[in-house]
Amino acid sequence: MLLLLLSAAATVQFGLMDVSANAQIPSWFEQWYSASVRRSVERQASSVTPLAPATDAEVIGGGRLYLNDCVGCHGEPGKPPSEFGATFYPRVPQMTAKGTDYTENQIFWIAKHGIRRTGMSAQSDGYSDQKLRLLTAFISRLRTMPPETMRAIVAQAKPAQQSAEPKK
Amino acid sequence: MKIFWLGFLAAIFVLPLAVATYFRLGFADVQSDTPPSTWESKIMGVAVRQAIVRRATQQPPADLENEERLVEGGKLYVNGCAGCHGELDKPPGKDWSHFPPVPQLPAIGTHYTAAQSYWIVKHGIRMTAMSAYGPFYSEQQLWGIAAFLQNIRSLPPGVQERILAKPASPPASN
Repeated sequence: MLLLLLSAAATVQFGLMDVSANAQIPSWFEQWYSASVRRSVERQASSVTPLAPATDAEVIGGGRLYLNDCVGCHGEPGKPPSEFGATFYPRVPQMTAKGTDYTENQIFWIAKHGIRRTGMSAQSDGYSDQKLRLLTAFISRLRTMPPETMRAIVAQAKPAQQSAEPKK
Repeated sequence: MKIFWLGFLAAIFVLPLAVATYFRLGFADVQSDTPPSTWESKIMGVAVRQAIVRRATQQPPADLENEERLVEGGKLYVNGCAGCHGELDKPPGKDWSHFPPVPQLPAIGTHYTAAQSYWIVKHGIRMTAMSAYGPFYSEQQLWGIAAFLQNIRSLPPGVQERILAKPASPPASN
């Protein structure tokens, strides 16, 4: 046991640990890491008061926020995956390509509090709970949204792109 | 003897397995809006620093600190880095929205050498919000940023003004 701790300490002290972000991520690590994050989010997001069902207007409002602030890392609807998102370690999940398995409450919790040791920062400084609610409504429907609804949201959002500050 | 080896193996496997299971069952906090604990910062700080010292072996260009390079690097900093690492002409804030918090460079400078800053910007730091910028900047630009960071707390007179100067507005039509 002592030997193990000592060798771990030596790895750290002699700089043998690879810290570069642009390296291949071993698949066992990615699986273990994302499963661990998921379990923790499930545990902590259970304290979020269940969100009321979103109206269409709220989904559209959330789409506008997403297109302003999240696309840089998480991917733009109808475009190839974000090249910027691919330079993080762990990689940034591509929402528009894959959607998400998290529930609305969990998405709300993640956007508000962030995920430590990733590029995902806590957004509660720039976003009120009401705005987070809109964003959540949009993101949770990414997979099931008919393509024409998405196109309408993109078309509506284009003129309003000077609002909120970009967050990375 | 058999017992001894069993004990030996148990010691090697039990601890990592226990740690992996602790995380896998979701007992670790994941929210990024709280400061890291001191021991975590210490261990990770040493790991990152020593790894970079070992890997950043590229020689900087001979005229690293020439003023044009500082200005070019400074402009890249203002456009691409200041959003997280702090504005040049604003009072420093504290970043608790990322975990670990992003170093506020105009306030604290950096103790990394130019070659090390170059390496960090190019390759990023895993398990932090610092992504790899190698695909987006040329070698010349990476060294510009590194040179600027070396001098961020002691820029030669006039350089900060040149960095922050707005580009000349295009001549008005008619």
